[in-house]
Amino acid sequence: MSSRFRLFDRTAVMGSGYIFAMVNRMQMLYYILILPKHLVQPYMIVGILGVGVLSQINLFILAKYLTSNYFVLGYRGFVQLFSEKIVRFFALLGIFFILIKVIVTTLGYVEIVHQFMFPSMKTSWLIFVLMASGFYIASQGMEKTIRLSIISFLATIWVILVYIPYFLPPISEIHHLYPLVPGEVSLHSWYGLLMVWSALSGPEYLVCLGPWIGPKEKILRGMSIGNALSVFEYLVLFVACLLYYGSPYLEKISFPVVNMIRYLQSPVFERVDLILISLNMIYFLYLIALFLLCLYGAIRIVAGRINIKTNRKGFLGSVAAVFICMLIINGWYWREG
Amino acid sequence: MKTLLSILCILLVFSGCSSPYVENNTVEEIAPVTFWSLNQGEGGRLEITTLVPPVTDEKKRLFTLNVDLLKQGKKEFNLKFYRELKFGQLRMLIINEKLAKKEVISIIDTILSDPDVSPRLFLVLVRGSFEDFLEGESKVQKNLDYYLYRMFRHYERRNQGEMSIVNLHEFMEKVYSHYSDPVLPIFKADKDNFTYEGTALFNENKYVGLFNKREDQMFQLTANDHYLKNLPIPHLNVSLGQVRSKVHMQVDDQLKTLTIHVKLKGRIDEYRGHQNILSRSEMNRMTHDIESYLQRETAELVKETQRLKIEPLEVGAHTLSPLVHPMTRREWLDHYEKMKVHVKYSVKIEPLSL
Repeated sequence: MSSRFRLFDRTAVMGSGYIFAMVNRMQMLYYILILPKHLVQPYMIVGILGVGVLSQINLFILAKYLTSNYFVLGYRGFVQLFSEKIVRFFALLGIFFILIKVIVTTLGYVEIVHQFMFPSMKTSWLIFVLMASGFYIASQGMEKTIRLSIISFLATIWVILVYIPYFLPPISEIHHLYPLVPGEVSLHSWYGLLMVWSALSGPEYLVCLGPWIGPKEKILRGMSIGNALSVFEYLVLFVACLLYYGSPYLEKISFPVVNMIRYLQSPVFERVDLILISLNMIYFLYLIALFLLCLYGAIRIVAGRINIKTNRKGFLGSVAAVFICMLIINGWYWREG
Repeated sequence: MKTLLSILCILLVFSGCSSPYVENNTVEEIAPVTFWSLNQGEGGRLEITTLVPPVTDEKKRLFTLNVDLLKQGKKEFNLKFYRELKFGQLRMLIINEKLAKKEVISIIDTILSDPDVSPRLFLVLVRGSFEDFLEGESKVQKNLDYYLYRMFRHYERRNQGEMSIVNLHEFMEKVYSHYSDPVLPIFKADKDNFTYEGTALFNENKYVGLFNKREDQMFQLTANDHYLKNLPIPHLNVSLGQVRSKVHMQVDDQLKTLTIHVKLKGRIDEYRGHQNILSRSEMNRMTHDIESYLQRETAELVKETQRLKIEPLEVGAHTLSPLVHPMTRREWLDHYEKMKVHVKYSVKIEPLSL
């Protein structure tokens, strides 16, 4: 039984379509849902564009590595490049970063579900369900998880169309978009820009997926298109929020991007927001699964068990550890909003 | 596969022991009320009224509770009635004028923070006693609450200028926006009637005055819907139909004068005067009369807002531009208060055709 449990097999190489979908969905994670609240001022539209360009420079640097010969070799490439000890040290660092990413993403999403769908439910139940489904997807192996990226992309990209009505009168008020030049630059706006910057992070996790993605020439193209699309989506969502709320009001809303959906009413189903929140779960789950796999890989490297076959117990153990971390953080530290 | 099955089993066992859901929404056991009517109670308390049950075919009853907090009403109600109260279908919030003079925003904030309540909830002010109206009318009209909701929805949809219909989101957006003040429709209620009175005016979140029915027409044309299905001018014995307006507001650079230019298009619906409006010259004179009448009325409307120092007309929004940093609300209103107003109407009328 356990001999069939192979997480990190490779039978095919995923093309630029997968890279594009992965980069885009990673950048559209949790942060975008709270971002408009922190950007607030209309001139931040320019800020988003600027940070988008910066992020593209990041991608150039990343692509330099991804197209090198070391990358295709995966773990062995890293060992050639540094040495085993240093790689293990890096993997240890990586565990922390991946752990934080998984926890923030999951808890953030759980918070949204809790606030809008099940206000009376215990959050630990929601975390459990999310982690269990993430575990299921991840246990199908890396290859299938990566393949899921296209599905999750196609299933959720059209949501952007739902925001079209917010650009049309009578919902939108054009004077909410003024002024487009900053009067005074406060610390808060720098903080907002930093948040855009961190929201656009995510593609760096492609480093962990060496053996599965390729071919070399197309990597940068896939990433660039994904990044451009994310910046476009950021702009659409932010401008929609501004037109709908206006900056002074926007500041006071906790999840503007989700909250504004409640204003739409379909004749069939009144609470459109519930459908959209549930839909978002597809790519949240996909990314949680992907990060769990990366985390498990990193743990194996740190433990020096890279050459031993993967087994179900070990994987389940590490997922359970993440789950417990999450419960602890949810109970003690997590602050809503 | 085994792990999966065991996970599923654990899940089932756990959920069997203590259900993670607390809410129960079985239709037969709940009362999804469609409106709240809020009134000033004794000793600074709130008096809240609703009609239950809203859905099923039982006999409807009027419930009135005296509470300190709005949400306390929900609890008191549950202790009194055999169904549980739910806010998911709340469509209208009817606030008494007297209460509105004291506080609106705290009530609306409470409603807004409830994720069950749609931001499309209609807000209405009432002068007189809505409870009396309910009591009298609900005997005659069984689905009264539903029909009231349909009425608001009907006039909201096409913005046809009969009434200012405002929902929760629009109200709050205007409260927070620096350059506009919210308005609400105000109705007069007594034992037999529920009549539209005009538009209630707010200074940020305080109820300060109202446009009566005649002024309200000008308000619809210049700021709200830019359309009136019917514009009767009894003073000139004429009634215009399907009036559409295009408003151009301009404030000069020194912020001293405001010029409002309204282009109006409509047709004569009814004429009961003695001029022969089929002839061109008489018709021109008539158009001129209408123009000067509308100019006078609109100028008065603007002056009223200047006197109250409020911005329901959103004049300030016309001074904004992409490249200039805006003034604060106070600065702008100080300028606005002293501004000279020029109103000009260009009326184009399709003549009465026989």
